[in-house]
Amino acid sequence: MKADRPKHIGARVQRFEDTRLLSGSARYIDDIRLPDMLHLSFVRADTAHANIVEIDTSALADLEYATWVFTGKDTAGLSMKAHQDYPEMQYSEQPLLAEGKVRFVGEPVAVVLAEDAYRAEDAAELVFVDYETLPVIGTMAQARDSSLPSLFDGWASNVIVQRQMKGGDLEAAKAAAAHVIKRTYSTQRQAGVPMECRGVVASYDHADRVLTVWSSTQMPHLVRTYISEELDLPESRIRVVAPDVGGGFGVKGQVFGDEVLVAWLAMKTGRPVKWIEDRREHLIASIHARDHQHTLEAYVSADGRLLGLKADITVDNGAYSTFPFTSAGEPGMVGKVLPGPYDFQAYEATFRAVATNKCAIGTYRGVARPSAVFSQERLMDDIAKELGMDPFDFRLKNIIRQFPYKNVLGFSYDEGSYAQSLEQMQALLAEDVTEAAASRSSSTKRVGVGIACFIEQTAHGTPDFTRRRVPIETGYIAARVEMSPDGEVTIDLGLQNHGQGLETTMAQVAADALGVNPENVYVRHGDTLTTPYSVGTWGSRGGALGGGAVHLASLKLAAKLKTIAAHLLQAKPDEIELANGNAYVRDAVQRFIPIRKLARAALRNVDQLPEGMQPGLEAEQRQDGPKDGTYSNAVHAAVVEIDIPTGKMKLRRFVVVEDCGTILNPLVVDGQVRGGVVQGIGSAMFEHFIYDAECQPLTTSFADYLMPLAPEIPNIEVHHIETPTPLTPLGAKGLGEGGAIGPAAAIANAVANALDVGVSCTPLNTNAIWKLSQHLRGAA
Amino acid sequence: MIDITLEVNGKTKTLSVEPRHLLADVLRQEFGLSGVHIGCAHGACGCCTVHLDETPRLSCLTFAAQCDGSEIRTVESIGGPTAEHALQQAFRSEHGLQCGYCTPGFIMTLMPFIEEMVEQKRLPDDDEIREAMSGNICRCTGYHGIVAAVRKAVNLGLGGGI
Ligand code: FES
Ligand code: FES
Repeated sequence: MKADRPKHIGARVQRFEDTRLLSGSARYIDDIRLPDMLHLSFVRADTAHANIVEIDTSALADLEYATWVFTGKDTAGLSMKAHQDYPEMQYSEQPLLAEGKVRFVGEPVAVVLAEDAYRAEDAAELVFVDYETLPVIGTMAQARDSSLPSLFDGWASNVIVQRQMKGGDLEAAKAAAAHVIKRTYSTQRQAGVPMECRGVVASYDHADRVLTVWSSTQMPHLVRTYISEELDLPESRIRVVAPDVGGGFGVKGQVFGDEVLVAWLAMKTGRPVKWIEDRREHLIASIHARDHQHTLEAYVSADGRLLGLKADITVDNGAYSTFPFTSAGEPGMVGKVLPGPYDFQAYEATFRAVATNKCAIGTYRGVARPSAVFSQERLMDDIAKELGMDPFDFRLKNIIRQFPYKNVLGFSYDEGSYAQSLEQMQALLAEDVTEAAASRSSSTKRVGVGIACFIEQTAHGTPDFTRRRVPIETGYIAARVEMSPDGEVTIDLGLQNHGQGLETTMAQVAADALGVNPENVYVRHGDTLTTPYSVGTWGSRGGALGGGAVHLASLKLAAKLKTIAAHLLQAKPDEIELANGNAYVRDAVQRFIPIRKLARAALRNVDQLPEGMQPGLEAEQRQDGPKDGTYSNAVHAAVVEIDIPTGKMKLRRFVVVEDCGTILNPLVVDGQVRGGVVQGIGSAMFEHFIYDAECQPLTTSFADYLMPLAPEIPNIEVHHIETPTPLTPLGAKGLGEGGAIGPAAAIANAVANALDVGVSCTPLNTNAIWKLSQHLRGAA
Repeated sequence: MIDITLEVNGKTKTLSVEPRHLLADVLRQEFGLSGVHIGCAHGACGCCTVHLDETPRLSCLTFAAQCDGSEIRTVESIGGPTAEHALQQAFRSEHGLQCGYCTPGFIMTLMPFIEEMVEQKRLPDDDEIREAMSGNICRCTGYHGIVAAVRKAVNLGLGGGI
């Protein structure tokens, strides 16, 4: 008889973390309160480009309460250094507090501390900064005009970095082409906007020289390393804690100057210091995203084969480089991913980041790929239209079908379901396509269908970062699994959970390997004191790499449990199975011993252990990503309905067919996909961070910066195909970002389809739709 | 400073506040209610929603001094430390939350809506449910799971369960 072995991986387990989140007992950064704590308020630049003539803090002396004020003079030499080691890249640093010059509205110029947050804010308003304003660099065109002055001394121009990637023979592709299709596409600047803003609390114990920093971050270990290097403190004496984090989406996946600054202030003042970002600060001065322009030129044969692609890519980076992905990361990613899921072998991309007087571009869900896929998939529709082909047929003709596939840049794609997902989507949309065609004759209401087909390189490994010479340097995730004498399991995980359900999914993974229930597994994360060094949660690596690390560490632990069980049950270790909290002899389930007895033997009744075995039950594993990552794939589809007289667009239907390999928990996977999609809908239709010609931000609250709200969003239909990858231990591919990648392209294609126009940019808000539908309202 | 008396989650307390102190800050700091979250502090996200005399109110747009003599409920009082209320359980089963930051605001906004539907003995359609949450922003879930949770909670209530 065989022990009945429940499988937790793949089960729709409800999340353990929900109880504290639902009951109001979660602890976010603003819930960290320490005795004697000082509150920090920033004085931020209100002009985009200026020399600082003088900072006058004298008014603070007249206040009847105590304040502490610091400027760039006090923090001189401390800065954020985020440089990719390319010879072509121009070097810059962002001082923790501006030194001599400000380069965007919102840049920190001074800080004021007080014993009450209201007072700190009052006092900060009394600091007077005298600026000598300078002309701004406000557009990509200005940034590329080498006659205009550079933002940094010693720079030759405002092009921060320009590089090329190529493969195959593009000239030959061009010569063979029957059609050359050239288009320019752009995606707007936006913000990331987790509902919890950022925040930092720090406290320094002078006696033991121990610094503790709480930060709403996705990467506590990297924050620790950066602080250690910048403040010259041993890493062993720094503890960084990410408490409950109210959404990250990549925004909190960089090390920020304020994290270093608050730590420095705690050391300097000898008192705990707290800073909580407000929404305006978040919108103007954390990081921004997207703001791309791509010019693509496709070479296509007479029968509709894609022969080659040429790309010219510009990203408006803003003033500074963010750590650890740098200003070179965003344009480089576009260059790397544009070949996408299509089979062609001639490619050349020139990509650059340019500096302007704006907030820096950083990583936000999808990182460059929503823009790249927007251009790639708009182009596919534009080509299909030019050739008179159906968008599905054109894609199916060019889609990659053989795996592993070596793409034009030499990246190896592991197996996916590219053609199958397109075909499945085609079937799901059949009725909408018919309805859209029929609406062509209507002068008042048009229906449009659009798709976006894409792949996503996920769970990148160290070789990928080495190749890019980027300061992140590595991509592994570590897990330590430990069993206590009562048989309960603790996982100390190098990931940080900010909504992904890791406290549940990782327990499911360990439970399968150890033969216990997920309820018996307690997952700890986000605290450098307890968790092994790791890069944190970003880049769609949680399930694939974190899950892999937990799985392999748990198997090591299981092997020891089996050896002890075999000894006590007088069997061989390979005859032992772990299930339902017991260790059984296979085919003789009446011979069993509870796992908690094995745990007790391993840790307390050690006289029961086999001769020579060391006591203890713990195991550790580091899981790096595959050399080229593992490629998830998906097709997104949007069905829109446009009211021609008003230009109002309704998103009627949004459908996803996706393949992220092995699914650890369908509840969580569906949630990640749907949440990502709605962020993508935000990028496609609503969100736009706007600067005026002087680089003054105009969208500094939710009244101006429009977020996707429930009434505008349909239910999101999700269909799965599971193609497990051989490249990660559980067959899982990354999925956290994919949802956000396709919507802009799918919605734009639906609009183009509905209105029979070219669509070259987002956001497709009511204004944009009004303009695009002008021709259908006649001469009026 | 102004002396005010508030009854918060059934407990009455008199305290001194500055006229400008926000109800959200007072609930968080003086009453230790960490379930009151601030997402924007300008009345646009709903994260800070609490019940003031049984009506959902944005505690970031309300001064504590305005609330003298009022009865206030926050998410902590809804289903206890294990979140047992039917709506909370529906959020759990329908995956109506991810990071959880917006969640207390959604719960406090939606509870009266659900009670009203149950009273009227009808199941609202999805458009109506979405309209009921149009003052709350969730960045994580895409609203799908929240809509499903409301549907489930109303259904339960109609079956006499709530
Ligand atoms: S915090 Fe009150 S509405 Fe956003
Ligand atoms: S669950 Fe994160 S904002 Fe709603």
